[in-house]
Amino acid sequence: MSAAQRPDDTLLSAWLDGEVEGAECARVQAWLQEHPEDAALVRMWAADRDALRARFSPTLDEPIPEKLAQAVSRGRSERRGPGSGWWAQSTAAVALLAIGVAIGALWRGSTSAEPLASGRWTQRAAVAHAVYVPEVRHPVEVNVREGDAAQQREQEAHLSRWLTRRLSVPVKLFDLRDQGFELVGGRLLPDAAGPSAQLMYQDAMGMRVTVYLRKAAEQDVPAAFRYDRQGDVGMFYWVEGRCGYALVGTQPRERLLALAQAIAKQDQMPPSAPER
Amino acid sequence: MQADDVFRQQLLGVIPRLRRYARSLVFDAAAADDLVQTTLERALAHWHQFDQRRDLLVWVLSIAHNAHLDQRRRDARLSVVDPERASADQDAQSSDPGVDVGLRIDLVHALARLSPEQRAPLLLVSVEQLTYAECAEVLHIPVGTVMSRVSRARALLRQFLDGSARPAAGGAHLRRVI
Repeated sequence: MSAAQRPDDTLLSAWLDGEVEGAECARVQAWLQEHPEDAALVRMWAADRDALRARFSPTLDEPIPEKLAQAVSRGRSERRGPGSGWWAQSTAAVALLAIGVAIGALWRGSTSAEPLASGRWTQRAAVAHAVYVPEVRHPVEVNVREGDAAQQREQEAHLSRWLTRRLSVPVKLFDLRDQGFELVGGRLLPDAAGPSAQLMYQDAMGMRVTVYLRKAAEQDVPAAFRYDRQGDVGMFYWVEGRCGYALVGTQPRERLLALAQAIAKQDQMPPSAPER
Repeated sequence: MQADDVFRQQLLGVIPRLRRYARSLVFDAAAADDLVQTTLERALAHWHQFDQRRDLLVWVLSIAHNAHLDQRRRDARLSVVDPERASADQDAQSSDPGVDVGLRIDLVHALARLSPEQRAPLLLVSVEQLTYAECAEVLHIPVGTVMSRVSRARALLRQFLDGSARPAAGGAHLRRVI
């Protein structure tokens, strides 16, 4: 479109909504400056928009009707019990569970008697986090922070190969240094149907997060990011391709989300030896 | 699987905007809250499909859109709704102060004369201030279609307010879709 050609109504309308960018935006503005009748038209549309907003916005200040608040809370307390949430299921893994309850409760500084149980893999991720994060001397099986740089690289390569072989899915060592977290190492863990892995990361303050990985089960699709929090501990978990992921930590939700997104992003990159 | 408390809190938080959109879409306050309730129930039933990276409001509005479509299909089978009367009913119920009554009636009448396919994108963009991309996501239509429908709806609304366009024959069912 040349400068002399009138932007059509669709373009003017999109411009009013802030949907026109760059050179085209500049051209619309230039046109409106020189054509008062079109400028008046757009101003009229803007007035109608403001009138619509003013007409319906008082609804925002009305209290939420009881009926609607109830619709949101319905089924919450009465149906809660065995079988709901990742902290409230109970089946096997009794030994790990007991340790998880004891350490988890101590570590969270909580006296709540909420039953930690394993029924879902995210539950196992939470328990594994609770068990190993407080460990001072043996937080991981394979430590990639020991020795000199060459030894560290060797340990990383070994850890990645080992976990990949045992889980039968490619295990990447995610680089979370942009988010302020260094990889400490990882370990192999028992999941319901086979091995799973835990990677541990630590920030400069010594705060830790863990990434739990398992080979996806049939019923694990779809792959949406989900968030759950119980007490101090938050978790983002998702399923991507053949692998289920859970990022667990006590950090605020936004911080955990940034870490989870960094992991998901790196996971989509083609597999290669991590440049570290 | 039960929706967790975090999700329920987030859902509570979007109710005011959900109500505003429902009110602008179906006019009648009680019918609008029924639509909101249906939407909330569906959101809770399908909460595990919600991706936490996404905007909850956009997701919930898209559920509301589908629920509204279902409602309209049911209504179409049962009766013919006269939007002129619906808007008059709604206006009688309104307690919105501070806006000129004449303008308000005209505005709502004019809005009611738009087809639902034109009204929804105009409201999402103008009142809810969604981007075209978000609006496209809510309505399951391409961004280009959002752009043309908003533009068309805007022009028609202005014509109706100017009184320069009479409703077409059977204007209650004006269904020009771009």
